[in-house]
Amino acid sequence: MHEAKLCLALLDLAERRLEAAGADRILALDLAVGEWAGVAPEALAAVFPLCAAGTRAAGAELRIARVSGRDLVLRELEVT
Amino acid sequence: MCGTCGCEAHVPGAPELALSPRARSHEHPPERSGRRLAVEASLLAHNRAQAERLRARLAALGIDSIGLLGGPGAGKTALLEATLERLGRAAAAREAVVEGDCATDHDARRVAARGARAVQVATGALCHLDAHLVAHALDELDLGGVERLWIENVGNLVCPAPFPCGERRRAVLVSAPEGDEKPEKYPALFASADLLVITKADLLPHVDFDVARCAASARAVRPGLPHLVLSARSGIGMEAWLDWVRDGRA
Repeated sequence: MHEAKLCLALLDLAERRLEAAGADRILALDLAVGEWAGVAPEALAAVFPLCAAGTRAAGAELRIARVSGRDLVLRELEVT
Repeated sequence: MCGTCGCEAHVPGAPELALSPRARSHEHPPERSGRRLAVEASLLAHNRAQAERLRARLAALGIDSIGLLGGPGAGKTALLEATLERLGRAAAAREAVVEGDCATDHDARRVAARGARAVQVATGALCHLDAHLVAHALDELDLGGVERLWIENVGNLVCPAPFPCGERRRAVLVSAPEGDEKPEKYPALFASADLLVITKADLLPHVDFDVARCAASARAVRPGLPHLVLSARSGIGMEAWLDWVRDGRA
């Protein structure tokens, strides 16, 4: 159950990319979860709204694609 | 079928349904007009890079490193104790151990009692070690003259899989009483292994454990994975284990 920690790392990365792009808010995050990444998509989805509260991703949609392999990759952000 | 997206609503196992509260309630978000920002960055890459740096640091010091993984009670610490005893007191003093558990320093005390230099990482609620925790734990140890570092992870067949901790090789343990189906149930950890160790072999006559099935299912996710059958208590299989541990070194 390390999804909350990974979720915080996800938000940290997303906010840094948001700032680098000079954008204001994150509307959606596209995440690819490897089947052997040791990450439960359901747990990630459950903790995401809590972790995102108070960040510039508050209320954003977390879109999770299950892929093969063992990695956890933030593919894309939808920002405004 | 849902008229908006065409998904099979409320079909068990349909992945979209399980993922977010919004998907579960099957409300579709309003169309958004954000711009897309490509990221393509791994969230596990940071730990992998730290693990690689730690491994390089150990290698530069002439220290080999072995990760011990398995469920709680698989016999990781008992195997380490038996290994230290066979190496002998003088050699054991050149073995360093990082012990990971949620709480207590029982395991560090056990291996320290056999002569190893040991440090305990109490992870609290954290379910696995990572390279950062191990690197800082090593600050507590005098690594002068150490030949090998053992990293005994928190007993867990799931979470440690994608988090290398600086080990050069991983030994994943399954004990006879746990059952031969573990590699089928927890493929990710076995896919990360360099050796499958079936422990508590002295109990094999008393339990329904098919060694061939266990080894074959581990090889299904990690082709060519070697396996050993041993008992830290009776000593069977320990010589082959020590050969693997030494890996051609003296």
